[in-house]
Amino acid sequence: MANAFVAAFEILSFGAIIVLIVLGLGIIASMMGIFNFAQGEFVLLGAYITYLAYAKGLPIWAGMVAAPFVVGALGFVLEALIIRRFYAAPIVAMLGTYALGLIIREAVRGLIGGFYLTVPEPIGGSIDIGAMHISAWRFTIIVITLLVMGLCYLLLSRTSFGLRVRATLENPSLARASGISTPLIYGATFAFGAALAGLAGALIVPVFSLFADLGLRFLIQGFVAVMVGGVGSFIGPVAGAGVIGTLSAALPWVMAPVVADVLVFVLAIVFIKFRPQGLIAGKGV
Amino acid sequence: MSVVREAIVADADDEADGAMAEGAAAERANDRAKAGPKILPIVEGLVLLAALLAPLVLQDYLTVFATRVIILALFALSFDLVWGYAGIMSFGQALFFGSAGYGVALLARDLNVTNIFLVLPAGTLIGLTFALLLGGFLLLGRHPSSVIFVSLGTLTGSYAADRLARGWYYLGGQNGIPSIAPMSLGSYDFTEGPAFYYLVLGILVVVYLLCRFLVRSQFGLALAGLRENEQRIAFFGYKAQHLKAIIFTIGGAVAGLAGSLYAFHEGFVWPNMVGVVVSTQVVLYVLFGGSGTLIGAVIGAVIVEGVSFWLSDNYRDIWPIILGLLLLLVILFRPLGLISFVLGERERVGSFGAKIKENVKETRNAP
Repeated sequence: MANAFVAAFEILSFGAIIVLIVLGLGIIASMMGIFNFAQGEFVLLGAYITYLAYAKGLPIWAGMVAAPFVVGALGFVLEALIIRRFYAAPIVAMLGTYALGLIIREAVRGLIGGFYLTVPEPIGGSIDIGAMHISAWRFTIIVITLLVMGLCYLLLSRTSFGLRVRATLENPSLARASGISTPLIYGATFAFGAALAGLAGALIVPVFSLFADLGLRFLIQGFVAVMVGGVGSFIGPVAGAGVIGTLSAALPWVMAPVVADVLVFVLAIVFIKFRPQGLIAGKGV
Repeated sequence: MSVVREAIVADADDEADGAMAEGAAAERANDRAKAGPKILPIVEGLVLLAALLAPLVLQDYLTVFATRVIILALFALSFDLVWGYAGIMSFGQALFFGSAGYGVALLARDLNVTNIFLVLPAGTLIGLTFALLLGGFLLLGRHPSSVIFVSLGTLTGSYAADRLARGWYYLGGQNGIPSIAPMSLGSYDFTEGPAFYYLVLGILVVVYLLCRFLVRSQFGLALAGLRENEQRIAFFGYKAQHLKAIIFTIGGAVAGLAGSLYAFHEGFVWPNMVGVVVSTQVVLYVLFGGSGTLIGAVIGAVIVEGVSFWLSDNYRDIWPIILGLLLLLVILFRPLGLISFVLGERERVGSFGAKIKENVKETRNAP
């Protein structure tokens, strides 16, 4: 019983981490049609900023709060300078964002060297429920993920900004004709997606420690999750991330980890092949 | 067929069409770049000459490096066929490269097979088989697959293979398979050095000429049409998905050949060889050199590897950053690669088919 509970918690917390990382990727892919290969590096940057705050003696919380804003601002600048040129061509966008990611990753590698740097958890210790102990920080991540998901949903479905974003997604020319500044909306959406990645990086760095290939590790999982969930809506990628995260965490409990690792990807690709629109089809929130 | 040619030619090159409209002499139709001297054969000749002379002027350790570059150029050729000519973004080309490398490494380790006439065909066959399976699955089917799905599907395949190779004890796990026996011909062993260099150069030239024949044939014309406007090619009645699967498989076979040579040249294989790192590296080569020209892929591999070798002594840390910046600049401002500095658009698109002479009139009469 205790074991099953611990397993369930592990699966849930890994699923939450994947959802957190995919949120930004999914918003950029769905709302702008760009598969952002630099998203993993935005995660890395968020983690690096948190580490920097810790290394300078500031409270870790400060770094975690600063990370999404700094990464979001960088995303806004990059969109205006570079990404904007790629909207017409999705493949070129992949290559361009890959080049951006390469630059960021290698710059961070140069700054931290080839090390694995650890950042302590801001909330240490464990929560005891009877005889069972679960990590307090992982529990916090689950709570924050749920909060961020809810806020994103409200932002897109209830606010006028969300309405403009959705209008731009569904019909850019009509949106422009209605007086919505679509370039500004694209810039803001990209910055928002980048900020979410920065937040994800800041929150997971105590769990995975900081190394230059941190983002790369999640990037392909994130892409697969977005495709499984379905591009075009907010909820699709999140659902896909839930499925992929849960599967990748759950399968190693029942079979050899190597087989489980590969099986998740194979299953996902087969699923997408026969259901290209993903779990949740359609545009909107 | 002639209609397609006209469509493509009209898209790519209006003036050339005008030249053909004069009903000009057959030679002129064949040689549509008559306005200027033909640059492509000159570039090809210069590269070949440089490659032939390289071992005579290079020191021994540089010849070994040059051999590696030639093998990587062969690998770049395979990606260029798939992306530059057919417009299929394969982010997992290393899957075929690396699986062939692992395949021949296993042959050498477990069965003691190192005969060059067995291992190279075996490696090619492995690459071909994997490409046929993956390409068939991703590209064929009732609904045409989106470009995004194909590129992410190949990327995922390569990543999954990387994870599998890392975790599978039989394949050596993280360390890969070390100390592979050298490739042999009778009692002669191919070890690193000028002999190996000229062997791979010979193979590269043969494969290059085959590819050149392929992309300049009617099949190549259909591929170029596929790259420019897939829907139009489909409306002409071509089975666009089948064409894509065929060129993908051929690309896989060439990558497999390169992978088996690489495994024997380096003497070991390791998981990176099937993974995302090598997959993206080959994309870099082709984008730098110029996709859509075969020689561009070769030049790209030589330049990227050469400069990175040269800089790695002093600037090892910042070289990848410079590479990323250069790549970004090329994508933004020179989407056709470095070769486009010397090669005009007209010559890049080129002429197709051997029997262009008879078809000139037909083209004129077509609606």
